[in-house]
Amino acid sequence: MGSSIRKAIELILTGDKELLNILATTARVSLTSSLIALLIGIPLGMLLGARRFPGRNALTVLNRTLMGMPPVVCGLLFYMLFSGVGPFRHLQLLFTVRLMIIAQVVLITPLVTCSMETFTADIALPLRETAKGLGFGPWKRFGLLVNECVYPIFSSYLLAFARAIAEVGAVSMVGGAIAWKTNVMTTAIMQYTNRGNFTLGIALGLILLTLSLLVNIVLSLMQRRLSR
Amino acid sequence: MKKFLSLLLALVMILALCACGKAEAPLAATGGSAPKSDALVVDTCILKEADDAMINNYSLLAVNPEAPFADADGNAVDDVAINAIGAAALINWLLSEEGQELAANYGFEQYGEYLFYLKDERPVSTAEIPAATEDTGKIRLSTTTSVNDSGLLGYLLPVFEEKYGYEVEVYSAGTGKSIANAKMGNADLILVHSKKQEEAFIADGFSYVLDGMEAERLNWMYNYFVLCGPSDDPAGVKDAADVPAAFEAIADGKFPFISRGDGSGTHTKEISLWPEELGITAEAESFKDYTDWYISANAGMGACLVMAEQMHAYILTDKATFLTFVASDGVIG
Repeated sequence: MGSSIRKAIELILTGDKELLNILATTARVSLTSSLIALLIGIPLGMLLGARRFPGRNALTVLNRTLMGMPPVVCGLLFYMLFSGVGPFRHLQLLFTVRLMIIAQVVLITPLVTCSMETFTADIALPLRETAKGLGFGPWKRFGLLVNECVYPIFSSYLLAFARAIAEVGAVSMVGGAIAWKTNVMTTAIMQYTNRGNFTLGIALGLILLTLSLLVNIVLSLMQRRLSR
Repeated sequence: MKKFLSLLLALVMILALCACGKAEAPLAATGGSAPKSDALVVDTCILKEADDAMINNYSLLAVNPEAPFADADGNAVDDVAINAIGAAALINWLLSEEGQELAANYGFEQYGEYLFYLKDERPVSTAEIPAATEDTGKIRLSTTTSVNDSGLLGYLLPVFEEKYGYEVEVYSAGTGKSIANAKMGNADLILVHSKKQEEAFIADGFSYVLDGMEAERLNWMYNYFVLCGPSDDPAGVKDAADVPAAFEAIADGKFPFISRGDGSGTHTKEISLWPEELGITAEAESFKDYTDWYISANAGMGACLVMAEQMHAYILTDKATFLTFVASDGVIG
């Protein structure tokens, strides 16, 4: 472990070009995909949690099932769809960062949806009572709900980001871990492990965790300030 | 805020260092002293090599744009985008005097030994190489891990890219997966090392003969597979008459053997070297009775070498990867 930590520090201090490229790709993929997943998952989750409508139960069950989709299956699916012989071959998206983002959005959105749905379902009823008592209209009621949801929205985002940055199965399938193009932290760690270079693998793992820590600190501080 | 964050980062690193044992903490604290290498000292050594049965041929195959591509359900797909011009350019350069010379000299500076040799009867290209255009600039090369992990491609490709303006995207996996990737229309050319699988690829119509070449399979480079194992060699592989006898000795004594088990070229070669009566194939069913000594790792060459080292096991590997592994004290990359 000691040598791994030294290696990690050395890599950061020397500004290793390939590492910087890998970090940039990782940031691009996980930040974009978690943000898109948030934009889809939050309204969907709030809708499922707060409103009663036909098909709601089916949707909830479907969403919970999708949460359990193994990343590598998701990756395989997108590999087949966007492959040179697949139905979407003309888009030429295989082994690109864009497809990595799309695959991750599919993986992550159910998580965000479920976490929002659980929270909203919990507070929907008392909130409605309160709003009724105060004589709020539907828009004001919605505003009240959103106001209550600021804290869990941040938590959901952190969940989405954590999943995105840690995920390897899908991005390695659809990205192909091509150097200077689609190689991210997790696929690089896999590559080094396959080459027997465990030290460098752990070093990258430490950098990944440290980055994750920084993102979490910033967002947690924002979360506290905004939801006060 | 920034200060706070960097302080926290430093704190985490220090905490981690402390957690790793007292011995290392002062070393990091002084910072200046040379880092003590705690990489493993490699005990695994080459026991059988340079045998004709162990030759490891690398071939280039251009993917045929007119190949009978089919989707997952077997329906024909006739408009698969293959960059035939780019693939031909890369092949012609690798087979040109410049490309061949570079490949043949690779490794000597770093390891004191040549890692790849040129075939005596190899295809040579003198064809003019066109500069990249917008349509042909991106070349997708699907290849085996050994040429990538040994650093050969990282050494050759930048020269080609800079000179002609192409961009080569390297997809590196075992030979089996590389070929499957090409069959799905995701590669313009392949560089692999399994004659049997290459011939099947050609027989299925996925390759074609380039202008000025005589065959689809352009076998221009080789090195050797080597049988490695613990230096005390409990199976007596060193004294075996030939390679098949060495494999027989390992099987007879039930000495641990690490198999790649991933459909790679090395795996294909290994299967062909076991005594026939054992009946070992790529199918898991075929070695279910040998699991006490035959370990199907399903991992890359480097990871398997680490495993062999730790388990004092025998292993078949390509020489280039093994030399890279030993030269860097058991790590590659």
